[in-house]
Amino acid sequence: MQYERKYTWSILLRLYHWALALSVLALSVTGFYIHFPWTNTMLEGGSTFPVATMRYIHFIAAFVFTGAVLARLYLLIFGNRQERLWDFLPITPRNIKNFVATLGIYSYLRDSHEERLGHNALAGSAYGLTFLAAAVQVLTGFYMLYPESATWQQIGLFFGPQQTARFIHYLLTWYFMVFALIHIYLCVWNDVMARDGLISSIFNGYKFRQSKS
Amino acid sequence: MSKQYCERNFKVSRRGFLKGCTLAATALGLSESMVPKLVEAAASPTRPPVVWLHFQECTGCTESLLRASHPDIGRLILDIISLDYHETVMAAAGHQAEKSLHDTITKHDGKFICVVEGAIPTKDGGIYCKIADRTAMEILADVGPRAAAVIAIGTCASYGGIQAADPNPTGAVGVQDLLKGTPIINVPGCPPNPVSFLGTVLHYFTFKKLPRTDQLGRPLFAYGRKIHDHCERRPHFDEGRFAEQFGDEGHRQGYCLYKVGCKGPGTFSNCPAIRFNDVGVWPVSVGHGCVGCTEPGFWDTMGPFYGRLPNVTVPGAGGGIVADAGSAGKKILGVTAAAVGIHAAVGVGRKLVQGKKNDEQN
Ligand code: SF4
Ligand code: SF4
Repeated sequence: MQYERKYTWSILLRLYHWALALSVLALSVTGFYIHFPWTNTMLEGGSTFPVATMRYIHFIAAFVFTGAVLARLYLLIFGNRQERLWDFLPITPRNIKNFVATLGIYSYLRDSHEERLGHNALAGSAYGLTFLAAAVQVLTGFYMLYPESATWQQIGLFFGPQQTARFIHYLLTWYFMVFALIHIYLCVWNDVMARDGLISSIFNGYKFRQSKS
Repeated sequence: MSKQYCERNFKVSRRGFLKGCTLAATALGLSESMVPKLVEAAASPTRPPVVWLHFQECTGCTESLLRASHPDIGRLILDIISLDYHETVMAAAGHQAEKSLHDTITKHDGKFICVVEGAIPTKDGGIYCKIADRTAMEILADVGPRAAAVIAIGTCASYGGIQAADPNPTGAVGVQDLLKGTPIINVPGCPPNPVSFLGTVLHYFTFKKLPRTDQLGRPLFAYGRKIHDHCERRPHFDEGRFAEQFGDEGHRQGYCLYKVGCKGPGTFSNCPAIRFNDVGVWPVSVGHGCVGCTEPGFWDTMGPFYGRLPNVTVPGAGGGIVADAGSAGKKILGVTAAAVGIHAAVGVGRKLVQGKKNDEQN
């Protein structure tokens, strides 16, 4: 069987993906530490600064995360064909059909589906939802980071007082972890099933498609 | 001038009077040179009269003003603000009292200050709080628009307070939810620190305008900063030294109360700086976490008081289960992992059954 190599993901998209993945990892670990600092330095007089350090890492990672989200926002509109939002959100008849078909494939009810270079519409919807979750995470995060800024207070009050924002921020962390679990699993699953080089594509940008001939 | 004032009012000593003004100047972040100006404004015979309305509340704010703090300050406040109507402390009662309210707002129409203590119930036409046969809503709608400014004292008058806690049976709201067009300032707290109230009043008398506020209508001089950022236990927080539970070694050592539920990181107030009762204490200094009493909806969002974050209601049989947010998260993650496992197992199973055939087709 013949396969051809197709350029799918731009460099910016791949950079975005890995910036997001690594920052989410760092943010989850440090975030849970801030939520429940499990080491209790009973040592007085030493300066180990664990909570301050974790918060520092959390804030740096937060800026990386924000940068990644902004890059994705740009790509949603100005990216290549596969990266634009109308290619994978279930807002066109073509994508709605693909959404249903993908559900069938994932539940082992169907075998073949429309070959797509980019995201299938089911994954695309999940990414759309995750993008919104990321936006909320960024807004609540900056609201907590700059408590004395009138602008951030104005924006943040949409979610409620600081404590409510903190709660939403915390719950969404679980969303990101659930997402990561499903995302990694389904990527491996697709890589095994479809043989289009899905996983390597996020490193080198190329996917494989069966040639027509 | 202030000496004369003090001679006329035996209730407050000159020392107490100056002390109160100096404290307020400090709270407002004004320099020492401004103290005489405050003193002058506080003693001026032309200072605006005050009408104090009590609605749905426990009178705790008045009580804290009257006695919880240094007695001089309590009396000073009541003297400074030339109180014409205050249900708790006024001598008049019944029709006399209502007359004095009516007289004050007629005579000083547009010039008096209205202090509101307590939330306003709005459900069922507001019948859950009535004074002299009028609902709180009616009284506020009558008095509020005729005031030069409204000071909402306490979390109830500011945001509804405990009455507004879920499910808010009486539809209680704060002043700002009902009154539009009149300048309103919120001095929340359960109860608020008398000094924050005094500072707000003196600022108004001295500069003829309300102090600058944050987006929640609270004066920045008192509510501009988080408790957490001024707390004396903050170094322990940064160093990761926590009381794990009340009474343990860490608690006895004065470590940070974050893990026993302190809401200082989400609460704006000057408690660590101003402190209470003139003896230099505040909740955290005596070993109890902040419960976030100056924030809107604190009865709902700051609970449980001894846990870090609110509980989540997990919908389920019997009308919902309340779980700790972390344990709910772990359950959801667990269910997801199980789903992933089953999905993978089904996939492998199918491969085993259909095996090579499928492979050859590919
Ligand atoms: S005791 Fe509360 S306010 Fe003080 S540092 Fe700890 S968490 Fe912050
Ligand atoms: S420390 Fe917290 S709970 Fe206590 S009075 Fe201040 S804001 Fe309210």
